[in-house]
Amino acid sequence: MSRENQIKRKIINWLINHPWLKLISFILAILVWFYVAGELKK
Amino acid sequence: MYLDLKAILEIVILWFVIYEIMLFFEGTRAVNVLRGIVIILVMFFVIQRLGLERLDWLFTKLFAISIIALLVIFQPEIRQGLARLGQRHLFKLVLREEEIEQILKEIIKAVDNLSQKKTGALIAIEKDDSLKPYIETGVMLDALVSSELIENIFSPHSPLHDGGLVIQQARITASGCIFPVAEDPDLSRIYGLRHRAGIALSRETDAIVVIVSEERGEISLAYEGKLYEGLKKEELLMKMKEILIKK
Repeated sequence: MSRENQIKRKIINWLINHPWLKLISFILAILVWFYVAGELKK
Repeated sequence: MYLDLKAILEIVILWFVIYEIMLFFEGTRAVNVLRGIVIILVMFFVIQRLGLERLDWLFTKLFAISIIALLVIFQPEIRQGLARLGQRHLFKLVLREEEIEQILKEIIKAVDNLSQKKTGALIAIEKDDSLKPYIETGVMLDALVSSELIENIFSPHSPLHDGGLVIQQARITASGCIFPVAEDPDLSRIYGLRHRAGIALSRETDAIVVIVSEERGEISLAYEGKLYEGLKKEELLMKMKEILIKK
């Protein structure tokens, strides 16, 4: 199996597994970052 | 707000950490609490942005108290979680070499017996790529790997003998799973559905798939899209060790 195919397969696998968990954690990460950035600015 | 590369990097790191924490608690009693905390955090953020000072004060006080309450209520889970964290290597559970060898011996013993009885079998061993999508198509199990159990599952009278068996982290996690089937015409016609499923799964994931032919009683191994046919039990053990135990 070519390296390119392996990378493609890994990306697909990563996207398939827990898409909701990834989305929620991404939103949460943005919220936390902006919150901390706001607190640091005070 | 101006987002520079540093900020993006910080968000990505935060994303990774939060995702791993959520993944860690998934499937435990604590996951519902985690969901609750996420909702409260979002509300907390919205309240602060809207400048609702009294609610903000209330939430801050409640949050501080609830942290102590959570520590007390979920003390067993936290202890268990931290113990598991100690065993993890880069957020992935790793097994000791002896443990892998023991599991492989059980699999090979079962496969050898099945091959002598000419009973078909399809066993997938998960490596780095998750086999969760395939597990969901079968019957969930959570059992220690033993040759007796594997033989029992594949015995023709067992309701679980159709489909594949999945082994994850030293446990038999599912049986009767539906794997993809390789449809390319280049494959020899002598390959039945089991072999085709084994090849297809090894193409789509990095799992090791062991196949026992029902017609010939032959043992094969599929890995990274390649099929290693007619293996003796010693050869099978060597091949599997070579893949799983990297020096």
